Amino acid sequence: MDNQNNKPSAAKFLTWFNPVGRDTGGWAFILNRITALGLTFYLFLHLVILGQLAKGPQGYDSFIKLMSSPIWIAGELLVVAAAFLHGLNGIRIILTTFGVSVTRQKQLFYGLMVIALIAILIFGFHMFSA
Amino acid sequence: MSTNTQSVSTPRSGEGTWLWLFKIVTGILLVVLLFIHLLVNHFLSQHGLMTYADVVAYYQNPIIPIMEICFLAAVVFHSLTGLRGIILDLKPKLSLLKVIDAILVTIGVVAVVYGIWLVSVIASRG
Repeated sequence: MDNQNNKPSAAKFLTWFNPVGRDTGGWAFILNRITALGLTFYLFLHLVILGQLAKGPQGYDSFIKLMSSPIWIAGELLVVAAAFLHGLNGIRIILTTFGVSVTRQKQLFYGLMVIALIAILIFGFHMFSA
Repeated sequence: MSTNTQSVSTPRSGEGTWLWLFKIVTGILLVVLLFIHLLVNHFLSQHGLMTYADVVAYYQNPIIPIMEICFLAAVVFHSLTGLRGIILDLKPKLSLLKVIDAILVTIGVVAVVYGIWLVSVIASRG
């Protein structure tokens, strides 16, 4: 039954994100898809906002000042976290695509996620203490 | 289940082998470029490029605009092909998929051209 959750179908759109009854691969899939959507949203938001640079120092510097409150820093940490989770999980997908450690996907996934967690903690500490 | 844990990434039906392969190649590229991007922006530069003047100064090194444009092109391509993959999982009709493809290509081209314009504006203000 677990395998059926990932079968593509428009009607099952919400079950893509249903973690019940999943094995490790299912969790990896959910994590990768949610972070993908989040990062895509952030990418275009980021591009629009950086347009402030074209308006010169006033526009950009006042925007940065606005962004230095802890709530926005937490939002930025969310982006950093999504990037690490998606990027490191992507390394697993690339490796297994080329036949490396296909039978060790679970161990690879857990190992990479530990690295992601450490990286997120380092960035979080750095961002909130700056 | 053993079949599930041993499954690997392959192109979806309708995805196209080249798009799938480019998504993997840009994925590898992004891991490298994002690492450099984060390292330089948050750890090497003292204040983390927090002012307009910092950003303009940062862009005076000619490697930076080139790297940022490569980074932008790779990330836009990767995110839009990824989005197309998700849309394919929703099983759109072929006629609708053609419209979606045209929209995605337009968004991608506009985003990269906009990025090149913005980078050249910033770099020219040094």
